[in-house]
Amino acid sequence: MKKQLLVLMLPAFAMLSCGGSKEKTEKQAITIKGSDTVLPLAQMEAEKLMKQDSSITVSVIGGGTGVGITALLEGSTDIAMASRDLKTEEALKFSEAKKEIEKVLIAYDALSVIVHPGNKVSQLTREQIEKIYTGEIKNWKEVGGEDLKIVAYSRESSSGTYEYFKEEVLDDKNYATDVLSMPATGAIVQSVGQTKGAIGYVGLAYQTKSVKQLAVSYDEGKTFIAPSVAAAKDKTYPISRPLFFMYEKVNSEKVKSIIDYTLSEEGQKIVLEVGYVPLK
Amino acid sequence: MKTNYKKFQEKFIEGLLMLSGTVTSLTVLLIVVFLFSEGLGVFNKKPIDDDFNLTIHAENRISKLSPSQVKNIFDQKIKNWKEVGGKDEKIILFKIDDISDFYTDDQLGKDFKNLSWCINDYIVKHRGVIAFFSKKYISKNFKGKILDVDKIKVSEFLSGDEWFPTARPVAQMGVKPLILGTLWVSLGAILIALPLGLAAAIYLSEIANSRIRNILKPLIELLAGIPSVVYGFFGLVIIVPLIQQLFNLPVGETALAGSVVLGIMALPTIITISEDAMRNTPRAMKEASLALGASKWQTIYKVVIPHSASGITAGAILGIGRAIGETMAVLMVTGNAAIIPTTLLEPVRTIPATIAAELGEAPNGGVHYQALFALGCILFIITLVINLLVEFVTKRKTLSKH
Amino acid sequence: MDKDLKISRKKKINQAIAFSLFTFLSYFIVAILFVILAFLIYKGIGVLSWGFISEMPTDGMTSGGIYPAIIGTLILVFGSMLFAFPVGVMAAIYMNEYVKDGWIKRFIKLMTNNLAGVPSIVFGLFGMALFVNKLEFGDSILAGSLTLGLLALPVVIRTTEEALKAVDDTFRQASLGLGASKWQTTSKVVLPIAFPNIITGLILSIGRVSGETAPILFTVAAYFLPKLPSGIFDQVMALPYHLYVISTSGTNIEKSREMAYGTALILIIIVLISNLAASRLRKYFGKKVKMN
Repeated sequence: MKKQLLVLMLPAFAMLSCGGSKEKTEKQAITIKGSDTVLPLAQMEAEKLMKQDSSITVSVIGGGTGVGITALLEGSTDIAMASRDLKTEEALKFSEAKKEIEKVLIAYDALSVIVHPGNKVSQLTREQIEKIYTGEIKNWKEVGGEDLKIVAYSRESSSGTYEYFKEEVLDDKNYATDVLSMPATGAIVQSVGQTKGAIGYVGLAYQTKSVKQLAVSYDEGKTFIAPSVAAAKDKTYPISRPLFFMYEKVNSEKVKSIIDYTLSEEGQKIVLEVGYVPLK
Repeated sequence: MKTNYKKFQEKFIEGLLMLSGTVTSLTVLLIVVFLFSEGLGVFNKKPIDDDFNLTIHAENRISKLSPSQVKNIFDQKIKNWKEVGGKDEKIILFKIDDISDFYTDDQLGKDFKNLSWCINDYIVKHRGVIAFFSKKYISKNFKGKILDVDKIKVSEFLSGDEWFPTARPVAQMGVKPLILGTLWVSLGAILIALPLGLAAAIYLSEIANSRIRNILKPLIELLAGIPSVVYGFFGLVIIVPLIQQLFNLPVGETALAGSVVLGIMALPTIITISEDAMRNTPRAMKEASLALGASKWQTIYKVVIPHSASGITAGAILGIGRAIGETMAVLMVTGNAAIIPTTLLEPVRTIPATIAAELGEAPNGGVHYQALFALGCILFIITLVINLLVEFVTKRKTLSKH
Repeated sequence: MDKDLKISRKKKINQAIAFSLFTFLSYFIVAILFVILAFLIYKGIGVLSWGFISEMPTDGMTSGGIYPAIIGTLILVFGSMLFAFPVGVMAAIYMNEYVKDGWIKRFIKLMTNNLAGVPSIVFGLFGMALFVNKLEFGDSILAGSLTLGLLALPVVIRTTEEALKAVDDTFRQASLGLGASKWQTTSKVVLPIAFPNIITGLILSIGRVSGETAPILFTVAAYFLPKLPSGIFDQVMALPYHLYVISTSGTNIEKSREMAYGTALILIIIVLISNLAASRLRKYFGKKVKMN
């Protein structure tokens, strides 16, 4: 019995002893943590960078913007990915801790409004979208579609996407209580694709045949603009938000490689590949 | 000497064993301490950003607004002060981003030097104004009235109808829809799982021969082994569209979808526990019943079921307990709309789903973060009550046996 | 006589209806299981290959394998059992062999049952508050393993207790009568007899632990790590979290869907194997004990 127990314990000690030597490795190890929206992009950038330069290892960890910023504050991550700017309470904490934060804009995330492919409606004004999400418009026939109840999908209330959409499209009004919120963009696409009266908003990147993207008007119906990378790039498509890498200024040497790579021509090409909007 | 050493060894081992015995109690205690110390913190906070002010014109009669009134004002659902008990005056919303619409760059000054003066000026000039801006822009001789926002009260927290934890200027922390949503889904789950589970338990313990039983039992236990993420996934792709078509609903993500998934997940618990209870029925009782000419079925429902009633109840309650705490599966199939449910065919939002979905984005230590811990406390209390209920039920059984 | 016959026929019909209903419903439940399994196999079998379980993920998680997630789950299972198994077994020994019936035993039992009923998301919150924040382990294997270990503890205690209870009292009396001490009796007589059933319990709790997402969400799980962990303060990828995250995030839904089904399948296979092993083991040892 005792011997068996000892055999069981051994690897644990081995693991313990390894832990101590972690810092000594010569390889440059960078940790990126935060927003689930930026996850796929950061992961791709990391993967490609590591392929080029094998002396760097980059770990990418999700959890959300809040988790990433907290980790940055505690020093448990080198870079925080964020799909929103710092909140005041977070900015305060950084200044209390006397830490200077550098924010780097890495890409834009354009949001497209999507509906079920069978829906006749193909364009909406910002005001109409606002009324749909605040619960004033409840039927598709009110915006020129069939007589069908509107089912509005949104991201989780805590996500950066949710807040951005609220500020930018809903004129900072709160969502109606009966708006469905899904844990992830993929889930919204799945649901909108299988629900006839559905409307949702997702990153431009999520282009699938199972949903239809709407053209949006920000000038009360004079011009409607269909979402596309080109339109988002030249700013004619209005619903697009910035994505950030944030890091401590004292750390800038350490994170230089991944930041530079992401901002390089190659890195920005990856932005496009993953489905976000490059800076230039 | 040697016996002394041996005695010491015995004592030492006994101590070690006792220590292990206390680990579970200790854990429960620690859970209570940590959960509650974080969770109760929410009642010591205001649902408004610490360094922001909500201000109105000095002559406005209003001195206090409830969180939901503030929300409705900023959502432009309340448009006149008389709706909240003030004078008949149109409400004018003022946000700091709009300042350049009212004042020229010259007036604002270089680097917005005169911003606080402009804000003050605007508030003084507009009687119906309500403004929300950072404390650092408040000028020294500020002429407006600063509205007081109450700390979050326990009663409001529990009875509030709206859950908008990130709403600005004032967060809406009402957990009633979440609590009801959780109970609603779990209740639905048990209504589905109990008849099914009982039938299977009866079949396994009384009808099936041992060979079939030995095949079926592990299979049913396997249901408990399927990870909840897989259930959620399966639910979203298969059960949700099925329910939508079956009931011709506008939307398939409903409490019912959650109930079906949770029902399946609760089945193994219910079946295992009630089957155990049924098999514990004394053989003599069953044989007596059969000897008196009762059929096997009569024996089952007149003797076996009443005898194992407390075990079945325990199984059902534990099944509910499992359902209430389930997170990932529910998150993916119930639609997560925080409305107070009236039918099973509407979307609901449950407590565990809320915690899992929001904890990652909530700033550490803030109101929202603590509110989520408070939700954890509520969940913990609900499951604790359920466990004590089970304890009570099974204890009555052991007492009545003697 | 005629009337009696009628009644008994009615009884028989009633019984036949009831029994066939129960039989049908039981098989219906099993059918649900098979539908779920078939669904996953149908969707996921395409991506299963040796590369899938032995390679790192590539192309933004849309191809390559899930090797690090499998290893991560194994590490977490091992780490949690390292804690839960010895502690759980000792607690059960204390409860069953040492402490006398009374309020202490009742209290410990009550607390163990309460712990068993605590929802896994609450374990996640607790693990985050205590291990990650308070004890400053950070998001790490240590924090995740301890959280999972606490979750598995009641399962281990319960199954071990059952196993100990099943050992006939005459063994204990004989050993004590021969002058052996209590610990000698427990370690040399009771434990060896109960051992197979204890192991069964261990394997079952492995199945439970390997599928949990909520407790590791905020204590250990990582989205993408370029290398395997080198110490207990590192994070790991884990199968259930991997499944959750690739089925809900990622921009190439069609492609990552496939990966998700494959991951789900692997997860199920692990659970399936551990459950089957448990029941096999139970049977095998059961026979052996009877033969003796």
